[in-house]
Amino acid sequence: MTEPIIDERVIRACQAGDREAFRMLFEAYKDRVFSIAVYSFGGDQTAASDVTQQIFLKLLTTIGQFRGESQFTTWLYRLVANACIDEQRRSKRYLPFGESDPMTKIQDRVPQERRYARMELADSVKDAICELKPKFRLPILLKYMEDLSYEEIACVLGCSKGTVASRLNRGHKELARRLAHLRDQVVLGD
Amino acid sequence: MFLNHITRELSAYHHGELSPQDSRAVAEHLIGCQRCRAEFEQIKLGARFAESLPQLQAPESLWKDLEGLIEAQTGNNGSSRTSSSRVSWSFFQPRFAAIAAALILAFGLGGFFLYMRASRPSWEVARLDGAPRIGSTRINDKSRLGIGQWLETDGVSRAQISVGSIGQVEIDPNTKVRLLQTLPTEHRLELARGRMSARIWAPPRLFFVDTPSAVAADLGCAYTLEVDDNGGSLLRVTSGWVALELKDRESIVPAGAACATRPGIGPGTPYFEDASEIFRKALSKLDFEPRDTEWSKIPSLNLVLMESRGRDTLTLWHLLSRVQGDDRVLVYERLAALAPPPNGVTREGIVQLDSQMLTLWKDNLEHTWSNESLPGVRKVWKKVWTTGLGKMRELEGKK
Repeated sequence: MTEPIIDERVIRACQAGDREAFRMLFEAYKDRVFSIAVYSFGGDQTAASDVTQQIFLKLLTTIGQFRGESQFTTWLYRLVANACIDEQRRSKRYLPFGESDPMTKIQDRVPQERRYARMELADSVKDAICELKPKFRLPILLKYMEDLSYEEIACVLGCSKGTVASRLNRGHKELARRLAHLRDQVVLGD
Repeated sequence: MFLNHITRELSAYHHGELSPQDSRAVAEHLIGCQRCRAEFEQIKLGARFAESLPQLQAPESLWKDLEGLIEAQTGNNGSSRTSSSRVSWSFFQPRFAAIAAALILAFGLGGFFLYMRASRPSWEVARLDGAPRIGSTRINDKSRLGIGQWLETDGVSRAQISVGSIGQVEIDPNTKVRLLQTLPTEHRLELARGRMSARIWAPPRLFFVDTPSAVAADLGCAYTLEVDDNGGSLLRVTSGWVALELKDRESIVPAGAACATRPGIGPGTPYFEDASEIFRKALSKLDFEPRDTEWSKIPSLNLVLMESRGRDTLTLWHLLSRVQGDDRVLVYERLAALAPPPNGVTREGIVQLDSQMLTLWKDNLEHTWSNESLPGVRKVWKKVWTTGLGKMRELEGKK
């Protein structure tokens, strides 16, 4: 389904308690929120589904507090980032880095696609992202999944733009190091 | 220009997040600093991996589960819900939902395609001869090449691509190219087969061409690049400098020189095209068929050394790091005879491949390889950059 377009009217309708509008909001952001949650929980889709539900439930109950002082997406992703960080602290469901194969469930879901080199590259990238430290992973996810600017990422994470730049630097270098053996696949146009 | 290393700025530079002044300063620093350039390549590689990260689809059951939770919460707080909530919830019946979904889909699709069409970066392509095609669409006069699209010419057609505001590429007959990337900090084309000629007036390392066996990185230049059916390529530089790279192997090719590449090996050793035929053939054997002893009883390396002239120090300098043991000593001695090493460069250091000494010797030799020495190129680029391209990057960055 194509993403619904979310504008001020939809947000105002959500604030007024219109559940149809809320459904539109959910449809627009569910995949992005779920993706961030999956990558934040080492590929555990069950944990990611739970957290995604919690995030939208919280969104429903707190959207009245959104005053339009920042972008709605910035506000939403702040909820997402906080929920992921809180849940990771609290839950034992989160797989520690480097233990077992965190992406098994995703890989099981798309076995036929694994035949293709591009998907194998994507799988390796997913693994490498899951293995990044959270403080490097979240800026990478917000940059590449949501295309947020450094300022927006800083606002979401509650840090400075310089910190965002520094963490992205570390994240990029870490990905390049972990995936160096796949360099030709991206450099030579896979 | 930054005097200290700028490694902390590189991601922000890559994403166009720096101010125009800082962006210019980083670009200028990169031109002169090998260490930061290497670091920048790492950052760009990491970014490329991150770009390939797919978005996942939330499970279909997620809304149903969420609905249950909302219902539970609404039930708990039912008395506090507004009438508008109840009205809109009753509106959410299958029949109305289907109509709403169809409307959302129609408006969403229209908006999405309009948005994609307007915002997708692309390059202008002009037909020069025949009927070049983008995908399956024939170009009548002008068209645009989007990221991921192939431009293909048949036996009689030619086309010209405007590479953003930084240069032009002419596509010869029987050629297939694809636009891979166009960003303020990187423009990248893939040449799958055939021949293209590029004229680029951008700062070094802004325009790249991927071939099946190496990547050509523009250092401020004009050149032709052709790829054969086996994936091998030949680079011929007519102005400025080009670097051919694959993994850790790099060949720097000045105007008047050429360099071949082979799949699985990468770039061979650069040579001046006016070198003797024996020199060129022996070098090709040395690079790509070192075990072929049939064509000459004299080892290829010896032929290269015997035939080398003063200008061929370009080839010999590159060979230093590509041959081993006694062969390296032979290359050193011939190179030293043609161009004595500068102060600070010793035979022992070179045999040990001391990178500082290799760079020092190269810097000392560069003026003999080209009238357009790298320092000169840097000055030109600095001027070009500060006048026009800074603005361009600012504009592209905003996009």
